[in-house]
Amino acid sequence: MSPNRTPSNPVDDGSRADAERRVVRGLDRASGDAVPDFEGARKHVLTELVRFVGRLRREGATVAADGTLEAARALSVVGLADREPAADALRATLLTGADDGAVFDEEFPTFWHRLRTGIDRIATHEGTPATDGDESETEPAADLESDAESEFLSDAEASTPDASEGTESVDVRISTGRRHATGETAVDAADGAARRYSAVGDREPVAADGASLSDSEGAAIDRFVAALATISGRRTRRAERGDRVDARRALRESLGTGGTAMELPTREPVPSELRCCLLIDVSGSVLDTIDRDTLLAVAERLQDTARRGSVFLFDTDLIDATREFERADGDPATALREAEIEWGGGTRIGGAFETLRRRHPHAVDRRTVVVVVSDGLDVGDPEALEDGVTWLARRADAVVWLNPLAVSPAYEPSSRGMATCLPYVDGLFGFAGPSDLAEAARQLERRGTDGPIGYEHDPRRIGAEPDGGDAG
Amino acid sequence: MTGETPRTPAETLSESVIRERFERQNYVADDRVVTTVQLALQLGRPLLVEGPPGSGKTELGKVLAEGFDTELIRLQCYEGLTAENALYEWNYTKQLLAVQSNEGTVAGGTGPESMDAIDDASGAASHSGSGAAAEGERPQSVFDDEFLLERPLLRALTAGGDRSPVLLIDEIDRADEAFEAFLLELLSDYQVSIPELGTVSAENPPIVVLTSNRTRGLSDALKRRCLYLHVDPPSFETEYEIVSRKVPELDGAIAAEVCAVVERLREESFLKRPGVAETLDWARAVASLRADGEAESLSTDEIERTIGCLLKEVEDVTRVDTELLERLQAAAAAADDRIEPTD
Repeated sequence: MSPNRTPSNPVDDGSRADAERRVVRGLDRASGDAVPDFEGARKHVLTELVRFVGRLRREGATVAADGTLEAARALSVVGLADREPAADALRATLLTGADDGAVFDEEFPTFWHRLRTGIDRIATHEGTPATDGDESETEPAADLESDAESEFLSDAEASTPDASEGTESVDVRISTGRRHATGETAVDAADGAARRYSAVGDREPVAADGASLSDSEGAAIDRFVAALATISGRRTRRAERGDRVDARRALRESLGTGGTAMELPTREPVPSELRCCLLIDVSGSVLDTIDRDTLLAVAERLQDTARRGSVFLFDTDLIDATREFERADGDPATALREAEIEWGGGTRIGGAFETLRRRHPHAVDRRTVVVVVSDGLDVGDPEALEDGVTWLARRADAVVWLNPLAVSPAYEPSSRGMATCLPYVDGLFGFAGPSDLAEAARQLERRGTDGPIGYEHDPRRIGAEPDGGDAG
Repeated sequence: MTGETPRTPAETLSESVIRERFERQNYVADDRVVTTVQLALQLGRPLLVEGPPGSGKTELGKVLAEGFDTELIRLQCYEGLTAENALYEWNYTKQLLAVQSNEGTVAGGTGPESMDAIDDASGAASHSGSGAAAEGERPQSVFDDEFLLERPLLRALTAGGDRSPVLLIDEIDRADEAFEAFLLELLSDYQVSIPELGTVSAENPPIVVLTSNRTRGLSDALKRRCLYLHVDPPSFETEYEIVSRKVPELDGAIAAEVCAVVERLREESFLKRPGVAETLDWARAVASLRADGEAESLSTDEIERTIGCLLKEVEDVTRVDTELLERLQAAAAAADDRIEPTD
């Protein structure tokens, strides 16, 4: 027995001696006649075991408080020479339910690889008291406590010797996918913030129209556009606070407290650059109902903020008005007015969608949020409309429909066009003025496009008469 | 170290010995079961076996007892099972008779909870009680081993002999949570406390096997004291081996077909999927219906007539239609090829 073993070690003498003997068996197999460093090997095994248990717990498996001790004893019984008995031993001692088996299977290969490479490394450093890797690693007992904090550190440092070890083992994942994800979102968030500048650069505000809006109205529009930016990503990330409860995580953590959720972890959408396609119905019934200043301001804000924003005006036909809205010398107000005068009359939404598909197929992709401003009064072929809207819904990330009629508390989407489109629309909101946009933004922020959103969840509708946005 | 030493068999067992004993009992176990059982024996830990009904959990306990040639003490759990049923009970009739015939004393006479009685018992009768000595000659206390009815748990602790008994606590999930808590002391220290007698601890700690059907979750406290083993439905090959060992009268090819059909049936979403026990039942049924040893393939008609061996819910049985029967037969027909290499 080695004289320099630490008395604080959790495994009792008998099984420790046993463990050493088994380790030696593994070592002998690995390196022939080397004089192995028992103490270092034992320490390595225990460190890896503690790390493995920590990882199981983090991934949601229920491991009893003294499961690690039992697992260490079990390993000393079955030895480390073969993989399957070791896996079975750990499974029997660490797991307490059939549901945790998947997590175990996921994590075990990493553990086993680290264990074996570490032992092999020790075996090849014949007679060295302790290898570099072991010295830099924390004590097992301490590791148990500080495992979460040291996760990144220890992983980073440990991966170097692992990588230098060569290529003997194939089924290895050095780090977990989760860490990749964490890193990725961090980068993305920074990117997203950096990219949320207009590609257009400086330009004049749209005539005097924008100026007629008050600050609070401007803020409402900004908020709506920002909310659209959050829905263009379906990914979410862990948040410190917020009101989107991470039910999965809460449930998993509540297992540790006997089913009582002590705190509610939350998630937030990962903001990403906004790509937006604004489809504006320029029929008189729409333009007369909504606040045109607001509409133009929305278009402007979208152009400003979005990484790519396109604006189409449609009625019985569809034209690309992006350039009018985008160019510094463009005059969107006039464009809007002219479009209305030029066309007027009924609306063929289905035909407009079809034109969009044929002539501007790149305006909408899977990361694009489509905002349709229309009252849904369609005079075209219902089948064409359904074809068009299904294409749009399938192609786009989300379809938000702003309907000027839906501000009325009595509104029901019973018109033929709207009834056809409704199943494919992620959110149908009323839109007459900035306050309606603020409400839509509130719902989008709170519930996302998957949640129950829409005009029918507008508290103003449930309460009294709509309180604003009756500009005509 | 052959494993035949009379002392506790647990410490001397290698994996191959366990495997050989399972083998001798015709218990087909995969590596995971063998390793886990070996750990349970060597570490002296209770073994918690979970799995669907009919997957051989109880059988594991029986096989352990048989294989190690030791006593099997079985405690079937049920709702409402109390410590009295499971651990010990005083033989009231005998106590009453003893007191009446002036052979025994309750030493204060208020019942088992009397503090005097405890003193009397634990004080090894050196002082014969404060008021009890009024009986004249010193009578024996009725709270003594003689008046104790041992129930399974206590018997497992006090069992004499050279070998540890196997204590099979069956379907622990059916017992109340209170009973589960009561088991904790027993499982961790192999001892129980009887107020009147003191603490009884085991000389030869029993080999404890707990089984659970997962009808409810067990407490973490219980689980952490046990080694955990989840028994999955066997693979085709394993099941074939089980059937051919347990039902030797059935022709090998037919046994393969039986296993293939059951394997196919498990893919359906039945309320109760057939376990190994059902497979064996069915194999025996098929064997007995083919008295003359005919070796034809299973027909749909034959499957339909005997499906009651496999499916035990009326909803499941009514779901078996012609289409499914044909698919089952197709699976059976394909089974012959699957065992070809092993034959």
